[in-house]
Order: sequence, then C-alpha cells, then structure tokens
Amino acid sequence: MTLDTLLSHRLLVVTGKGGVGKSTTAAALALASARGGRRTALVEVEGRQAFASLFDTPPWDFEEREVRPGLFGVSVDAEDSLQEYLELFYGAKRLSRFVVGSTAVEFATTAAPGIKDVLLIGKVKEMERRREPDGRFTYDLIVLDAPPTGRVVAFLRAPEATLELVTMGPIRQQARSVVDMVTDHERTCAVPVTVLEDLPVTETLEGAAALRALGVALGPVVVNRVLPERVDAEARAALVEGLSPQAVADRAQRAGAALEPDGARLLLAQAEADRARLALQAELRERLHEHLDVPLLELPERYGTRFGPQELDTLARAIEERVA
Amino acid sequence: MSPPAARGSEAARGSEAARGSAPGASDPLARWHDGDLSEVVAQASIIVCTGAGGVGKTTMAASLALGAAARGRKTVVLTIDPARRLAQSLGLDAMSEEARAVPGATGLDAMMLDMRRTFDGLIDRHAPDPERAERIKANRFYQQLASSLAGTQEYMAMEKLYELHEHGRYDCIVIDTPPTRSALDFLDAPRRLTDFLEGRFLRMFLAPGMRAGKQVGRAVGWGSGLFMRAASRITGAGVLEDLGDFFQSFEGMYEGFKERAGEVYRLLASQGSAFVVVASPEPPALREARYFLHRLEQDGMPTAGLVINRLTPPPDPALADLTPEAARAAAGRLTTGDAEDRAVAALLELHADRWELAARERRDVAAALQGTTPGRLVEVPRLRPEVHDLEALGEVGARLHGDDPPDARA
Repeated sequence: MTLDTLLSHRLLVVTGKGGVGKSTTAAALALASARGGRRTALVEVEGRQAFASLFDTPPWDFEEREVRPGLFGVSVDAEDSLQEYLELFYGAKRLSRFVVGSTAVEFATTAAPGIKDVLLIGKVKEMERRREPDGRFTYDLIVLDAPPTGRVVAFLRAPEATLELVTMGPIRQQARSVVDMVTDHERTCAVPVTVLEDLPVTETLEGAAALRALGVALGPVVVNRVLPERVDAEARAALVEGLSPQAVADRAQRAGAALEPDGARLLLAQAEADRARLALQAELRERLHEHLDVPLLELPERYGTRFGPQELDTLARAIEERVA
Repeated sequence: MSPPAARGSEAARGSEAARGSAPGASDPLARWHDGDLSEVVAQASIIVCTGAGGVGKTTMAASLALGAAARGRKTVVLTIDPARRLAQSLGLDAMSEEARAVPGATGLDAMMLDMRRTFDGLIDRHAPDPERAERIKANRFYQQLASSLAGTQEYMAMEKLYELHEHGRYDCIVIDTPPTRSALDFLDAPRRLTDFLEGRFLRMFLAPGMRAGKQVGRAVGWGSGLFMRAASRITGAGVLEDLGDFFQSFEGMYEGFKERAGEVYRLLASQGSAFVVVASPEPPALREARYFLHRLEQDGMPTAGLVINRLTPPPDPALADLTPEAARAAAGRLTTGDAEDRAVAALLELHADRWELAARERRDVAAALQGTTPGRLVEVPRLRPEVHDLEALGEVGARLHGDDPPDARA
C-alpha cells in the first residue's frame, strides 16, 4: 500500500476512535479525490450530520447532492435503505409506506441481527456498483465515514454474520456481494484515523489487526493533530542546557516583546511540557511503524483556527499533495 | 455580555482569536461558572456520567467515585468499557464481572458491565419458570439480541445500576454510560426495549389472535399479510418461525419488564441522582453535550453539571501583555538569530499558538452552551498526556470536587 494508490480504490472505509477527527478526515479525503477529477461520493451512515456544517450546507439526507464540484454527499439511514431495497427488488411500492415505519426497521434490525448494518453497507455497495447509461461507474470513489473503531468490525462483519444466520434467499445474495466488496483489496481499503495519544493508538492497532483478520485491506493511517517540532537541534540544545528566564526575557525584549523573567519562566515550563508531549508523540509514532507496515499520513495540529469550509480546503490540499 | 476591548487595529487571525481569553477581558465562560462538583460526590447516591465517545467519561466517573469514597462513603464505580490501563489501575481485568476493591483506594469498588450476564439475570427474574427462562436463553435470536439490539447495552447498564441500588450495599454508585451517539438511546433504552419486546405490531402477525391484534383494524391485518410475504421472501424460510417462537416465549413477561423499566426511570429522575455531562472542547463533542443537556432537561432528569475535559488553560496573568501578535512579531525577528534567539522564538510561537487555541476552545464551548442550563460548569485542563493511574485520577479530582490528589504536593 502506498499513498499514491489510495484514491484509485473504489471504496475507502474511514474509521477511528471518537474525537480523533474521523469525519473531518473523511471529508478532506473525499474533497481531495473530487479535486483530482474523480466523481466522488461522501457517505455518512450514523446520522450525526457531521458534514453539513463542514461543507456549510443544509442537513444531508438520503438524496445524493453535489456539495462541491464532483463531490456528492449523502446521509444513509436504514429506513430509507430498506424502503429502496423493497422497491427495487420487489416493486413493493404499495406496501412500503405502511411497512417502512420504525417498527418495521426495528423488525429488520432484529429479525436477522446486523440487518441494519447490512442495509447501510448494502446501500454503499449499490452506489459502488451503480453505472451510468454509457456503462461507466457513476462514482469513481466512495468515501465512507464508517462507525468508530470499536464498532467498525461488527459493522463490516454484519454481512458475514447474516450469511451464518440466513441460509437462503435474496438477503443472503445481498450479504454475499457485500462481503465480496469489502474483502476485495482492489476495491476496498480501510483508512484508520488516530491522534498520537496512547488510547487512540492502542485502539488503532487493535482495530487494524481485526480489520485484517476480516480480510479487509488496510490503507495508510491518518495521524491527526500532530504537534509541530518547533526548534532545530542547536536551538533545542540551547533550551535543554538551561536558557535562564532572564536570558529569555532579555532576548525577547530586544526583539520587541513585553516579557519579564516571571513570564519567561512560565514559557520555559510550557516548552518543557511541550517537549514531553513531543517525546510521547515520537514514541507512539514509532509504535505505529513497528506494528503496521502502512504509511502514516500526518496532519498538523491547527491551534487557533476554527475548523470550517476553508480549513477543509487546506486539509484536502495537504492530502492531495501527498497522495496525488 | 459586553464585547471585550479591541486590541490593535489589524484584523489579523490572532487578534480575533485572542478576544475573550486575555486575563482581565471578559471570559466567555464566566457566566456559567458555579463552583465544583464536591456537593455531588458528598450527597448523590447515583452519579451518571454521559457524553460522546473519547471525551474521558470513564476517567471522570472514576475520579468522582474516588471523591465520594474519600468522603467516607462506600462507593462503587460501574464502567462499560474502560481503557485497559485505567482498568488495570482500578484493579479490573477482562473477567471482572463482580465488584472488586480498588487497590489503594479505601471504600471504593469497581466493576465492569457484563451485558450477557445482566440480561440473563433479567430473564431469570421475570420468567414464570426456569424452563421458560432456558427456552428463551437457548433461542438464537435471544443470543443475538442480548448483544446487538440497539439500546441493549444502555438498558443493561441501567438494569445493573438498579440492581446495585436495590442491594443497598453502597452509599454512592457512579456509572459511565456507553458512548452512544445520542442521548436518546440512553434515556429511551428501557422504554425502547420493552416496546420492542411487547411488539404489538410483530406479535399480531407472528401469532395471530393474540390480544394485541384485536385493537388494530382491517387495514393492518391486510398489511401484515403482505408484510409477512415480503418478509419471508427476504429473510428466507425458518427465520420467521424462530422469531415467532422467541416472541411467544416472552408472552406474559412484558408487564414485569415494563414495571422494572419504570422504576429505573423514576430512580434516575429522583433527587438522589445526578447526571454529569462530559465533553472535550472540540465542536463535535460539544454538539453532543448540548444535545444531552437539552434532553436531560426535557426528561426532567437532575443535571448536576457539565465537565469540559482537556481544556487548554488560558494564559497566566504574568503573560497577559504578551499578545499572540506581539509574540509572533518578536519571534519573526528572532528566527534569523543564533541558537538562543531561535530557541526564544520557538517559546514565543508556542505561547501564541496556545493562547489562540485556548481562545478558540473557550469560544466553541461558550457557543455550545448558549441557551442551555448546564448547572455547574467545571473545567479540567489537560493535566498530563494520559490519565490512567490513581495519582492522575486524584489530580482530575482536585478540579472536579476540590480534593487534593492522594500524594498532594503543597
């Protein structure tokens, strides 16, 4: 797996522990893909409406809408998927309005467990296989904002589980073709997102192992909010060897900053804490490299900027440069 | 709130970000501050920590539990899925389904939720006879339901909580909730499960002639026939029969389930309970917290407070005059100097970045709180890279409920 082949898959499954920036990363990957001239779909399956504010659009729903040139956004839910499924395969328009209430979905969810997930990922598969009248695929790439690491394996495994429970019938065929899609390394690739902290890294390693055990190809790991290394070796040596608060204040004042030794002492303490975090960061990066033979795609901490459409553009461009 | 005094005329990113965070300038969060949670750990008999995934719910639950135990109250912390190292420091391993004393913390027990066992216990209690209980537990749908139905984990957590409460062994029970993406799942859990099991709609076509069927008219009877045909075509043979058996074996147990769910709900809404919403200063987590606060208010649940975890602290008063703009300007002049100058430049850049980060976080938190009644707002700064031992939990506790860490330094 190299970075430059990432966007030539058909489906990217973006996952990660809560709070690491999974949805943002999925959006940036999709945007980078669309900007590279690929017709791209960005799919949300948990109804969290994470993308509407990122792209500054009205709430997303089951209809695929172009949110940027060549980028189509959709929020898929089990109820709509079931309705579409019934209509598509059974011409069941007449009963769907009655049947597809919450009870029916509750039924579907439990009648054959994992069906909700099967419906959701079944919809993704439908989009992945969909073709235009001229025979081309409708979408060159689908980016799925998948459930978090703790649940993604159950999510992707749902079709397998269904195969174990349902021994015949169209649901079985449907489940089979979904299993084929997610385990085809040419078509599907999982992209874990993490930050360089102990828990998320541990969860990423566990998740990566579980995804591989499931037969899913593992793509690059996106490492979010990486703290910058601010000093060169010489300057670091100066800091470590004990630049005095007085010296810091003097130099800062000469450069025009209002800094007294008391304040300088706080800055030095802050820098030491920052170095500790950088050291931990380096250790965790090493741990990822040690256990995973995939590249890391690092994205910087963004400090003061509030994340909005503009920052999304910047992030997408950063990804474009790496994976073009 | 009055707008803070403008500083400088450039509309640079930095000056905008700095607004509201400078010491002395009005803190956008000031109006929500109202002490800490020491009253909660001293008095509440049930503390429920809730919030989005990855915000530190388990850490907060463990810290609050330590605080209650430190006040001489016999306390148990019930966690759903603790991080491994935190679990270790609480004396838990994957197999601990019974409460265990936390090493090094007097009066504190910890336990992990075992969903399957809790569900089995529920079946045993409500089944009219052991045979029926066995029949249910052997059904493959039960086996799947026990682990996969949305809301089951939430419901079982509440069931376990109620069980512990009934036992009366503890003065204070602290529980962290599953990281569900919506509060609805959690508060609705008991009702959802009983509604589902009662499943009027399902029963009326799975076992025609049942009591529930009478209330529905012809239209539904017609619809269910169609539905049955469609459903069997989709699921294949055999599945529906198993399902029918499953629902029939639950017949007669619904009342017990419902009653219990009602009791759990009343317990959570009672004055002895306290909900603590946990968030990180990131917008997605804040959106969830806002939703939780609204939902708790709607349901009349006692909300004790909102904890913002891992908040970047605002700059120290000693640095109040060193604005991000000034720091960056000076840093710019120093980057071409010798090693010491470059080191100072880095210090100034770091200061400017952190100031802006702190300002952004505070604005995001303030924006999320507009129009909510969070009770007490407690800030817990990022104290160290990871919190997973009792000492670190004590440090968090110092912020949450004013206790000194176990080995407090003066």
